[in-house]
Amino acid sequence: MTTQVASLPPSAASPDRLVRLVASGAVIVTILYLILYGLYALWEPSALTAYTFGSLVNNTAPLAIAAAGETLVILARGFDLSVAGVISLTNVVMASYPVDGPGGALLSLMLCMAVGGIVGAVNGYLVAVLRLQTIAATLGTMIICQGLSLVILDAPGGVVSDFVADTLTDTLFGFVPVSGLIVAAVVGAWLMLRRTDLGVALYTIGTDEAAAALSGVRVARTRFLAFVAAGMVYGIAGFMLTAQTVTGNPNSGSPFLMLTFAAVALGGTSLSGGRGGLVGSIMGAALLMLLQKVLFSGGVSSFYTGIFQGAVLVLAIVFSRALTHLLERSRA
Amino acid sequence: MTPATLDPALSASKDERRVTRVRPELVTVLSTFALSALLIVASRFVSPALGSWGQAATVVSLSSFLIVAAFGQGLVILVGGLDLSVASLITLSAVLCTTWVGPEAGAAGILLIPAILVVCALIGAVSGLGITVLGIPPFIMTMATGIIVAAGALGYTSGTPRGSAPAPLLALMKGEVAGIPLLLIFTAAFVIAAAVLQQATGFGRRLYAVGASARAAFVAGVPVTRTVVAAYMLSATASGVAGLMLVGYSDGATLRMGDSYLLPTIAAVVVGGSSILGGSGSFVATVGGAVLLTTLGTVIAALGIGQGWRTVIEGSIILIALLLLRENTFARIRSWFPR
Amino acid sequence: MQSSNLSGLSIEGIAKSYGATVALERVSIHLAAGQVHALLGENGAGKSTLVKILSGVVRPDTGQMLLDGQTYMPGTILDARARGVATAFQELSLPSNLTVAECLLMPTLRKGRGGLVSARRTVAAAAEILARYDLRSVAPSALISDLSLAERQRVEIVRAFHHADRVLVLDEPTAALSDVTWLFDQIRRATARGIAILYISHRLAEVRSLCPVATVLRNGRSVATVDLRQADDDEIFELMVGHSKASESVRRSRVTVGAPVLEVRGLTTPKLADVSFTIGAGEILGVSALDGQGQRSLFYALAGLEKRLAGEVLVEGRPSRPGKPGDALRDGIGLLPEERKTEGILANLSSASNIVLPILDRIGRRGFVWPALERAAALESARAVELSPRYVSFRIGDLSGGNQQKALLARTMASGARTLLLFDPTRGVDVGTKEAIYAAIQAFADRGGSVLMYSSELPEIVRLADRCLVLYGGRVFTELAGPELEERTMVAALTGYTSAPLARGAAR
Repeated sequence: MTTQVASLPPSAASPDRLVRLVASGAVIVTILYLILYGLYALWEPSALTAYTFGSLVNNTAPLAIAAAGETLVILARGFDLSVAGVISLTNVVMASYPVDGPGGALLSLMLCMAVGGIVGAVNGYLVAVLRLQTIAATLGTMIICQGLSLVILDAPGGVVSDFVADTLTDTLFGFVPVSGLIVAAVVGAWLMLRRTDLGVALYTIGTDEAAAALSGVRVARTRFLAFVAAGMVYGIAGFMLTAQTVTGNPNSGSPFLMLTFAAVALGGTSLSGGRGGLVGSIMGAALLMLLQKVLFSGGVSSFYTGIFQGAVLVLAIVFSRALTHLLERSRA
Repeated sequence: MTPATLDPALSASKDERRVTRVRPELVTVLSTFALSALLIVASRFVSPALGSWGQAATVVSLSSFLIVAAFGQGLVILVGGLDLSVASLITLSAVLCTTWVGPEAGAAGILLIPAILVVCALIGAVSGLGITVLGIPPFIMTMATGIIVAAGALGYTSGTPRGSAPAPLLALMKGEVAGIPLLLIFTAAFVIAAAVLQQATGFGRRLYAVGASARAAFVAGVPVTRTVVAAYMLSATASGVAGLMLVGYSDGATLRMGDSYLLPTIAAVVVGGSSILGGSGSFVATVGGAVLLTTLGTVIAALGIGQGWRTVIEGSIILIALLLLRENTFARIRSWFPR
Repeated sequence: MQSSNLSGLSIEGIAKSYGATVALERVSIHLAAGQVHALLGENGAGKSTLVKILSGVVRPDTGQMLLDGQTYMPGTILDARARGVATAFQELSLPSNLTVAECLLMPTLRKGRGGLVSARRTVAAAAEILARYDLRSVAPSALISDLSLAERQRVEIVRAFHHADRVLVLDEPTAALSDVTWLFDQIRRATARGIAILYISHRLAEVRSLCPVATVLRNGRSVATVDLRQADDDEIFELMVGHSKASESVRRSRVTVGAPVLEVRGLTTPKLADVSFTIGAGEILGVSALDGQGQRSLFYALAGLEKRLAGEVLVEGRPSRPGKPGDALRDGIGLLPEERKTEGILANLSSASNIVLPILDRIGRRGFVWPALERAAALESARAVELSPRYVSFRIGDLSGGNQQKALLARTMASGARTLLLFDPTRGVDVGTKEAIYAAIQAFADRGGSVLMYSSELPEIVRLADRCLVLYGGRVFTELAGPELEERTMVAALTGYTSAPLARGAAR
């Protein structure tokens, strides 16, 4: 999943690639998730019901999608702090301008993605064209988005359309959570993107920007598009968050800032770009949310949740590094 | 030999190509301070109560917390890292101060204040060791320690911090010597000491070296691990000091005390013209950035507009500062003036 | 004359500055179609800037270029390719995450169903390209990161050939190649098709065998275009440096070698077996070897950059077991590392800061290292290597490779170490700088220091060293001294007992 993602499918299934796949973050975090879910099921037999799973997916979806968007930027060797701003902004936009019915929901989704896309385009312009440092530039746009959120809705409140609130947190056929389908749609779009020139270029500028440029990759354009796509995905995350909280809050995005990066790192994407993938980030987000749930059901005071989240974050990275190291040594 | 073309003027092989020293740092420092001063003066038009010396002093007092915390952030950014645990450490030191020391602390209680800073430094050491020894990216490691410390502070106080500030801290923050606020003197002393530490000591020079290229610095004999860990320890300690100052200023602690300082520390360093990638920048420039950001905050607050637009303006200012302080901006300005 | 100027690429009065740094002042060259044209010049003469301009990476400030009579001013690599101009870059430009096939076809890969990238078709198309240029040994589906340096260089070259319909720029194409016949064959085939080639190399012998004409670049100007069949080496060197080469190969004469300073007994690492030697005060011990015979391991183990498996090292009688370079320095061993860019310079900082790095604690007063102290100490060290004082306050990243190397040598010498480990001290350095570096090394030895020096250039060892160890397969193959220490004997020893032709490592 690491280097292989950007390259050709392992038709030859060489052992090298197998090693890389196993040692990749996505696989490790998925295994951790399954283990933790098993423990959770032992503890809390209701964990295996469709209802519990559905609500877990609902809780996870906004963070998972936000992390998915962030991954696009990080792969291209950047950081995007505006994720928090876009989520707040789309959240208050939806709560201030509710449109009912399925058509309304679609309109709201489009609006959210447009808002995110515009913020992403500003980021992309600042970073790719004006060449500002990504952390600094997106810090600025994040603060501006937070401010605009306050302008639109200066205190928690607002109204969310019933259709959005009900349908998006529902399950289909009694066991398929709708929010899960949205996450799956994001993954589907990603799998397509990976097999385009743009997708390959994304990994390439993250790996070696100078070499990419000398290979004819349009670096500025690729990075710009990464920011725009990421912004649109944050818009979806804001949309899903609103469906879940059924209210508007100008600060609703702030908790996402750190958790998004934690999910990406947990999912094995290198924060220095070029390696990793979107699926790992989504699983990373799922693991963080599951951990919260397990700790809660285990009776650990919610005060201390952060201690476990922080520890898991560090341990997952140390573990994946150690594993990569061991596998590489056994090969040599 | 039959050179097809040979320029006779080239017989002397003197390298005529010019290389000049570029000092964007100096321009940055001057422009941030000048902008701050200009803003304070201009704010007189907004309200006659503003634009005075008194207001300038208030701004410096208000920016002191940011200056102290941004010093640590600047050191960490200088070695190519980033410290996301600033907010949690400010909160932790504030919470520990009101619960351990408290207002009625005697001489023994006051001794606990250094102990608080030692706790902070140790947490910084953990971050630094995780980054250097375990190879965890700084962004992740400090985020993790930040989350853990915040949770620890939350659990320790069960969600509601009690107590108020010890007398010496109140005196530091509110007292005066010969009509000059003690805080102003403290901040000035801090800035001088910190700037000298960063610019004119072996440790400071090594920080630059590690930030410029950790591998090359290592090969040249610099103890890289020790230097990086020290940077994180100093950053955590600086956050601790900022927390103590905030306790003295507001006579109490809250669990969100540090939250509003994390991003401004990064902003101050960046507005001061340091590269977020490390190896460049100066503390005096960061101070300029901190003062400029604080001035803006107070001036905008005086405009009497809503919190939302105020925030929008603050964000825009960061972007404008970044755009203005780009290196090629200087090059362009220079090209307007023929030599 | 006019008609011949129309075919090929005419570069007329190109100039380029970066801020206040003038990289090219005035360059004019005519590349005739179907001809290999050499570009010669010292490091920092402006060759790489010219390559970037031709490739569309940077735009010149003034001047013009005509490709087959039409204005040529590419804004990007892709513009250049569209006009049939392509470059094989010196600093290999293959992104390591891609496969060979992806590299060859970037930025547009072959598509399959639904407009998505098809791995199969991409590989097939790449296999065809590789076959066209006789490079079947490289699998198109291999990852760049899994290729050897030589294979990468070949892929880089094939890619440039593939895109170059009119003009091909080869920037040091043989740096990593041990066998040049493949490349020369391809070059001949390309010229036969009427492609103009600009060939940049430090290796004059190579240039002579390929190119009828050469343009010499000096200080950002094209100084002369020379008919290579009629110019001898000295004349060319003179054009490159602007004065005749300093007295050729003065063999240093050493009478007395002092007490042992560095004693190495049975040093063993994963790449080095049982190496022993002693260097006395005032002695220069050369190390000669083909690429990858353990020489790097020897230097890095002594400097604390690599783990030792066995063996003992004594510095002036005291055991030295450094765990890191800082420890080695304390024992009196200073290293000039192999990779100047990644292990040597701190590009962002001034030369002064670079030079005084190991002696910060010594030059300080009461723990304070004021800028004036730093500058004074750096100036003193710079003098020993003839580094111009005006460069001391410049950002070292802005200096030429040769001046960077001088600054690094100054750093190593100023560190106070009595034993210097110099790994290829003149690597990629121009002729004038080499002389200054030789003089500094000799002066250091004359003052009683001891030197272990590896060089990829045999004449350098012959000229400087008192004795020379020849490493082969991680062992000391032989030790040469006195009259044996001359190039032919060394060439024989370098290859061990194998009958393989002398690989390039020795001739570099």
